[in-house]
Amino acid sequence: MPFGSLVGRASVAAFLGLAVLGGCAGDQGKTIRVACAGPMTGEQAKQGKDMENGAILAVDEWNAKGGVLGKKIELLVYDDAQDPKQANAVANKMFTQGVVAVDGHYNSSCTIPASEVYNQRHMVCLTPASTNPQVTDRGYPTIFRVCGRDDQQGKAGAEYVVKHMPGARVAVLDDKTTYGQGLAQEFLKHYESLSGQKVVFTGVIVKDDQDFTPTLTTMKSYNPDIVYFGGLYPQGGLIMKQMRQLGLKAAFMSGDGTYDPEFIRIAGAENAEGAYLTFIPDQEKIPAAQRVVAAYKKRFGELGPYSLYSYEAINIALQGMAKAGTTDGLKVAQAIHAMTFDTVFGPMRFDQKGDVLVSPYVMWQVRGGKLVQLPPDS
Amino acid sequence: MIPGGQFFQQIVNGLTVGAVYALIALGYTMVYGIIELINFAHGEIYMIGAYVGTIAAALLLGAGLPATAAIPLAIVAAAAITGLYGLSAERIAYRPLRKAGRLAPLISALGLSIFLQQYVLLAQGARDKVFPEEITSSGFTLGPVRVAFVQVLILAVAALLMVALQAFVRRTRMGRAMRCAAQDPVMASLVGVPVDRVIALTFIIGSALAAVAGVLVVMYYGKVNYLAGYTAGLKAFTAAVLGGIGNIPGAMVGGLFLGVVESLAAGYIGGEYKDVVAFVMLVVVLIVRPQGLLGVRVPDKI
Repeated sequence: MPFGSLVGRASVAAFLGLAVLGGCAGDQGKTIRVACAGPMTGEQAKQGKDMENGAILAVDEWNAKGGVLGKKIELLVYDDAQDPKQANAVANKMFTQGVVAVDGHYNSSCTIPASEVYNQRHMVCLTPASTNPQVTDRGYPTIFRVCGRDDQQGKAGAEYVVKHMPGARVAVLDDKTTYGQGLAQEFLKHYESLSGQKVVFTGVIVKDDQDFTPTLTTMKSYNPDIVYFGGLYPQGGLIMKQMRQLGLKAAFMSGDGTYDPEFIRIAGAENAEGAYLTFIPDQEKIPAAQRVVAAYKKRFGELGPYSLYSYEAINIALQGMAKAGTTDGLKVAQAIHAMTFDTVFGPMRFDQKGDVLVSPYVMWQVRGGKLVQLPPDS
Repeated sequence: MIPGGQFFQQIVNGLTVGAVYALIALGYTMVYGIIELINFAHGEIYMIGAYVGTIAAALLLGAGLPATAAIPLAIVAAAAITGLYGLSAERIAYRPLRKAGRLAPLISALGLSIFLQQYVLLAQGARDKVFPEEITSSGFTLGPVRVAFVQVLILAVAALLMVALQAFVRRTRMGRAMRCAAQDPVMASLVGVPVDRVIALTFIIGSALAAVAGVLVVMYYGKVNYLAGYTAGLKAFTAAVLGGIGNIPGAMVGGLFLGVVESLAAGYIGGEYKDVVAFVMLVVVLIVRPQGLLGVRVPDKI
């Protein structure tokens, strides 16, 4: 099969290429090596490719302007196969190959173990997509996060409820997973401190179940005006559906785990109508992003949700190097901490832990069976 | 809402889930009653029924049939096709091992269960399948209790099928043959009961009932995935044991009982305690009545 043999040859070439690259690690003086690491194979391969495309775009723009510190930039792509062990292995490989900054990884479960290596080896790492608080909460100096955190999301939800539904009776549900429970607790904490009110009900559902009516029936007797759910779209959809079946008319709010068109299909368009979901803004509509979005689409086609975060991760790392005047990880990280970056998402600064100061989350709502981003002040 | 209202609402929800458990439990209990095999692939049969019903409904609705005609037809199609799955399962996985002792068919059942699950994963994908027709969430209010029409449908279909099954087993010639084979297969075959055919029929009926349960559940919850058979099968098996395995009315009582206990536990103690309470009840019942709620003591069976 010609295709097969082509793939075969390509992989042999890639293997030899890597072997050669590995062999000339001492030769790194001629270029500055940055890496993009993520799930390049497997069911998340699309997300990996989105990241890679964003990184290619950024590196090419820098090289067109002459590179950084007087050298050309070389982008190496690593596959962590969404496997924590593999993530750790590629992190070590990057070090031996002289990579100085990493745009990665995608999954929090990969970024966390890989960043142990980056911290030890003083390599700068900016994750474009891992939202688990643990990524930055360990306080490693060279680890940054360009996207939001799960707890910022809980806060965004709480602020919305306090502002738009003052005095509402709030119920909180979660699915007992690290993500769902964490999100629900952050919502609850921020809601109670912002509003000075207690939530009227907290409950737990079991993710493997389909029937949540017992918990929802008990919740209904507390007469909530809005239900906040920490969890994923299959359960979120069922909860909305069963709430309406029980005649419970309360509003529904959840986070990015529920942001999926399947949510509406499972709940039924009629039942899902009006549901609030916190998610990142529609990037195609950000005025500052227009030039980059156009360049990206022209070259790679459709924009992925994390493509631009990956693009900015590379930009920030290179701007840090330019400012620090060196590729030494600790010095570059110090520079990044001190700077304000002009990004497609607006000005970006990092706090002590390496998180973005301004929460990127905005409110979306199901309207007419579709997810629509609400204007910031509505 | 007054507290009493909440209690009755929990009972109605519990009975709906329990009716589904009962329909699936019938398949476990009938097969056990005749060949003393715990058919661990039965949960997967239920899941396949749900898929077949969903696909059939999509095809029929796509062909322009109104929902009132398409959905009953989809249920019938699911029962028929899934019945054939049950028949093939018996022929391929159990009949060759009929004389091989107790452990071999049990392992064969586990293997079949894994096979069916992975087969559906490969053929249909890992994403949830959504029922094509949006079943309305509307219903009526009975005092403080809200009942959705689809809940009424589930309870009515389940009751109808249970009555029909009981009549079939008690009143027809084939039903009598079934009871004979359950008592003593060797003796039954000596007096001319076609035991192999009776066993095949048992699998077909059990699978068809599970398929109906599957379609009702997809309509109620709106979705199914390839892993759905595991939890449902485990719960239905528990219901069968609770009611007394091998006993048809026992499976019905066990199913309804389990559904209500789970519902009350989740409603009054907390969602995470639902399974804990359900299985504690099982242990307690088995300590007090090892033969199950309606079971008859048969010292020889496992």
